[in-house]
Amino acid sequence: MSRLIMFHGRECPHCRKMLPIVEELEKATGIVFDKKEVWHNEENANLMRSLRETIAAKCGGQLRVPTFFNADSQDVMCGEVEYEKLKAWAEKT
Amino acid sequence: MVKKKFWRCYVCNDVHCGVAPPEVCPTCKVRHAYVEVGAAEARRVLGFGPEGTFSRDDFRRAIEAFAAPNEFQVNPNEERVATLINGIFENERNHGLKYCPCRLWTKDFEEDLKIVCPCNFPTHETYKGLPNGECWCGLFVRRKA
Repeated sequence: MSRLIMFHGRECPHCRKMLPIVEELEKATGIVFDKKEVWHNEENANLMRSLRETIAAKCGGQLRVPTFFNADSQDVMCGEVEYEKLKAWAEKT
Repeated sequence: MVKKKFWRCYVCNDVHCGVAPPEVCPTCKVRHAYVEVGAAEARRVLGFGPEGTFSRDDFRRAIEAFAAPNEFQVNPNEERVATLINGIFENERNHGLKYCPCRLWTKDFEEDLKIVCPCNFPTHETYKGLPNGECWCGLFVRRKA
């Protein structure tokens, strides 16, 4: 199973909306997201910055949150999405 | 990026930041009244202490006034606005400027100026040309006709 990361911000409303959807997906499928808050955790922020080229290319040229990152395939999806879209993305190999 | 400077009106002490001073001071209406000053002097003239004096209520009033003559408005969803303003002020307290809580600062100052709220969102793909356009974080939404 791929290593999936969710970069999120504590005061980001999109992230707040996505967190329960991610948790619902985790419960239903066994998929696990490593959730990394980036505005209050410098280590997490530095990890996201280190992926700037890859993430920004898919996210309007910026480091936006929420961002979903597949550490194995380097695939990126950012923003608020429906459960089914997140599931399809997460299940991609 | 063009280097901007600070300018102070020698009549009423208004402070302007830009590549050139205003020809007419918008406050006292005196022509050719601006002299270039350093950033430290500009800050002192403006009366800002290290923590600043611009409250959340001040910011809320400022963005309402900013949006009023434009084609966008502050999001009517009060809960969302409260969350965002909280994040914006957390970022100012922790990182120095009112960075958008829905993007991450890169530590490249010029680049990060692009995510200071309000940002230039009308040029972004989440707003431009979209009937239900909004800025990335959703603080501003296109005004309904």
